[in-house]
Amino acid sequence: MSDTAMTTSATKPGSPGRKTTATGWILHNVVWIWLIALVVIFGMFNEYFFTIFNLQNIMVQATVLGIMALAMALPLLVAEIDLSIPANVGFSAAIGALCNTDLGMPFGIAALIGIAAATLIGFFNAVCITKLKMVSLIQTLSMMIILQGALLALTQGRTITSLSSGYVWIGQETIGGWPVMPIVFLLAIVGMAILLRNTVLGRSIYAVGGNAVASNSAGIRVDRVKILAYSISGFLAGVAGYLLASWQMAITSNQGASYLLYAIAAPIIGGVSVFGGRGSVIGVLGGVLLLTVIQVGLAIISVPSFYVGMIGGIMIFIAVGIDAIRVRYFG
Amino acid sequence: MKPAPLQETETPNADRTILRVENLGKNYGGVVALRDVDLSIRAGTIHGLLGENGAGKSTLVGIMSGQRQPSSGTIYLDEQPLHHVDVQAMEEAGVFLVTQEPMIIDHLSAAENLMLGIWPKRRFGFVNWGKLRSDAERMLEGTGIPSETRAGLLDAVARRKINILRAMFSGGKVIILDEPTAALTVDDRAQLFDFMRRLKSEGVTFIFISHFNDEILEICDAVSVLRDGQYAGGSEDVGGMTSEDLSELVLGRGLVLFERKRPVFEPSTPAIELRNIRSAKVDLPELRIRSGEVLGITGLPGGGGKELARVLFGLEPGRSGTIRFPDGEERELPEHPSEAFAAGIAYLSDDRRKDGSIAQMSIAHNISLSAEVALASGAFLKPEQERALSERYFGSLGIKAPDSGVAVDTLSGGNQQKVCLGRVLATEPKLLMLDEPTRGIDVGVKQDVLRIVDELSRTGVSVIIISTDTDELVRAVDRVLIFQGGRVREELAGENITRSKLRDLG
Ligand SMILES: Nc1ncnc2c1ncn2[C@@H]1O[C@H](COP(=O)(O)OP(=O)(O)O)[C@@H](O)[C@H]1O
Ligand SMILES: [Mg+2]
Repeated sequence: MSDTAMTTSATKPGSPGRKTTATGWILHNVVWIWLIALVVIFGMFNEYFFTIFNLQNIMVQATVLGIMALAMALPLLVAEIDLSIPANVGFSAAIGALCNTDLGMPFGIAALIGIAAATLIGFFNAVCITKLKMVSLIQTLSMMIILQGALLALTQGRTITSLSSGYVWIGQETIGGWPVMPIVFLLAIVGMAILLRNTVLGRSIYAVGGNAVASNSAGIRVDRVKILAYSISGFLAGVAGYLLASWQMAITSNQGASYLLYAIAAPIIGGVSVFGGRGSVIGVLGGVLLLTVIQVGLAIISVPSFYVGMIGGIMIFIAVGIDAIRVRYFG
Repeated sequence: MKPAPLQETETPNADRTILRVENLGKNYGGVVALRDVDLSIRAGTIHGLLGENGAGKSTLVGIMSGQRQPSSGTIYLDEQPLHHVDVQAMEEAGVFLVTQEPMIIDHLSAAENLMLGIWPKRRFGFVNWGKLRSDAERMLEGTGIPSETRAGLLDAVARRKINILRAMFSGGKVIILDEPTAALTVDDRAQLFDFMRRLKSEGVTFIFISHFNDEILEICDAVSVLRDGQYAGGSEDVGGMTSEDLSELVLGRGLVLFERKRPVFEPSTPAIELRNIRSAKVDLPELRIRSGEVLGITGLPGGGGKELARVLFGLEPGRSGTIRFPDGEERELPEHPSEAFAAGIAYLSDDRRKDGSIAQMSIAHNISLSAEVALASGAFLKPEQERALSERYFGSLGIKAPDSGVAVDTLSGGNQQKVCLGRVLATEPKLLMLDEPTRGIDVGVKQDVLRIVDELSRTGVSVIIISTDTDELVRAVDRVLIFQGGRVREELAGENITRSKLRDLG
């Protein structure tokens, strides 16, 4: 077969490849350029921004948001969505913490139970979406409300603070002055990058998100891929929940809820398509760092708190706007 | 600047140029799709536009209709230069394009899609729904398309017809049809041509893109040919041309039509045996397909050929039956395409857009997708296997693209089809089923595809080609089954497969 002499007009010698113009390059890397620009600007306003302590602060803050953003990216890549992730973060952490404090389980087991609960919730969402054909936007919205209510019921409106020192170790430990928590983020990034780039499941995730009908005919079990994507997403939500609780050493009755919009915005700013099938881990990382720098930076240059939300929103708006221009002109 | 509505021509003046492009160029990123194209369309004629896949035909008519913007050059409508016009402005001026791929809004009804943008209006811009329905009903008469059905539920042929009908009834002065016949049955096509002739006599101008020389010769007054994005020639008098002339203009060389040397099968030739295949639309007690045989299946849409292939591939629910390969046990039909691929059964749908490729994925990833994912033997991808597969099929199928890393949605239709073909070939099937494999493919590539099938069959692969293209059946298959109501109504073999017999039986 391979030696069949076919029409060989395919590749003309000297035919021009895809031109990489300067504007194209800038637009493709807009998240990173915008990130560097903001770092410089914030640094000019307040030299404290460039201190090691602040760098550590940004890394720690980026960890929780980052793992949540990776969790959010998976449903988006298969052309679905999961709005219940931040609620899952709070709920599963409470489960784990209560196993530790009230049932007296060892902290390791308790944390794993919390993460398992989160994974199960992701799995359940996907079963509803694939087998029962529920619409993911509404199904996960209702799951979000259920989990937020369940967290309130579990905590009876109070904040859980009696966490054991073992349970909070990962969020508090430092090595040579550097917090260990970001290592988990690093592991999550590497793991997710390998999953998406090098595994059969990763390739299937992109294919299903790109065209579910064609994927099925290409021999991909679409439902199975979606269920796995949601389960891994739930697992990451559980990890994020455990880290958030151990970092704050507390679980409030609305833990996680404030992350919802940022967890959705970060992957999208980083180039994950809401229509599925497009996006990379590096892009998500860029989106996460950009949002974190905006948050931390605005706090540091002491913008009055009444303006923080608005200015942060405008910065995100600009990033998304530039990205839209990129998609329009460079696909 | 808005184009002025085209003036009514009292006397169809054959020498008036209605649409003209000058020095037209178009780049997509670094890919040059059109270069310095000059072309004039005379009013009241049917102007054929020919060229290989990827020659730039769709791009050219896209620009003429305001759907795409040129990188350089000028468009003249009634000798008025236009700048930055969009589809809406061109439609208001009377220029309508029927694109190559169906443009349908899935959640609207057939009637609403038909009238999209050409709604009958009441005062203050309100849509006159009553008139919309009755108009639509009238237009759909005799097409078999129910007007209230959601367009998303219609098959590819019906979706295509809606687009064509919309343009035909639009009252437009210039109607551009991009490969309209690729998805039509013989009857539909005759109907379309009658319609075009009637409108032409009323002064309507057509630009007609087709890969079928006989269609061009039958209906066109003038013809232009594009090759590699440049104007390669043409004629204002199609009457004096032959099919060979056209092919030579298109290819820049003489065309050798493929003709299969039919193998002689011994009674002892091993065969794939199908038994008691039943589903909602198929009822087949027994069928044997010999190793190395190319079996054609034809019939009207819904006759059962396509349905049979989908049943064998595990795509239709509620089926029963068994299959036995020469070297294996009798087994149940696969439950899912992944099982089918594993069993050595491959199928390529006729609707490549919806059901063939992952548009935004690269050529290489598309080619290796089924082999790597459906036949995966571990959790990790195998980069060497992926590279080998994509290189092999990218090269041997002659896919026109800068490299195998570009996304499939930047390719022209025929090249997308080749990528899909590469994907199923890469699974190394024992039974290969191709649904309209050469639909929408230019004559040159069509010979390539038939040749590939031929060579594959000589390695012992059994091939089923589901086709309504008589020419293809006559030249490339060993046996033809004519399906009707899910059963085999007629069988022709070898020398008995002739154009006239197929016409009489089909
Ligand atoms: N949206 C696009 N992006 C990049 N390249 C494109 C796009 N559309 C078409 N092309 C390229 O332009 C060339 C002409 O394509 P097209 O006009 O579709 O050809 P035809 O209709 O004659 O088959 C091809 O090389 C094709 O790959
Ligand atoms: Mg085309």
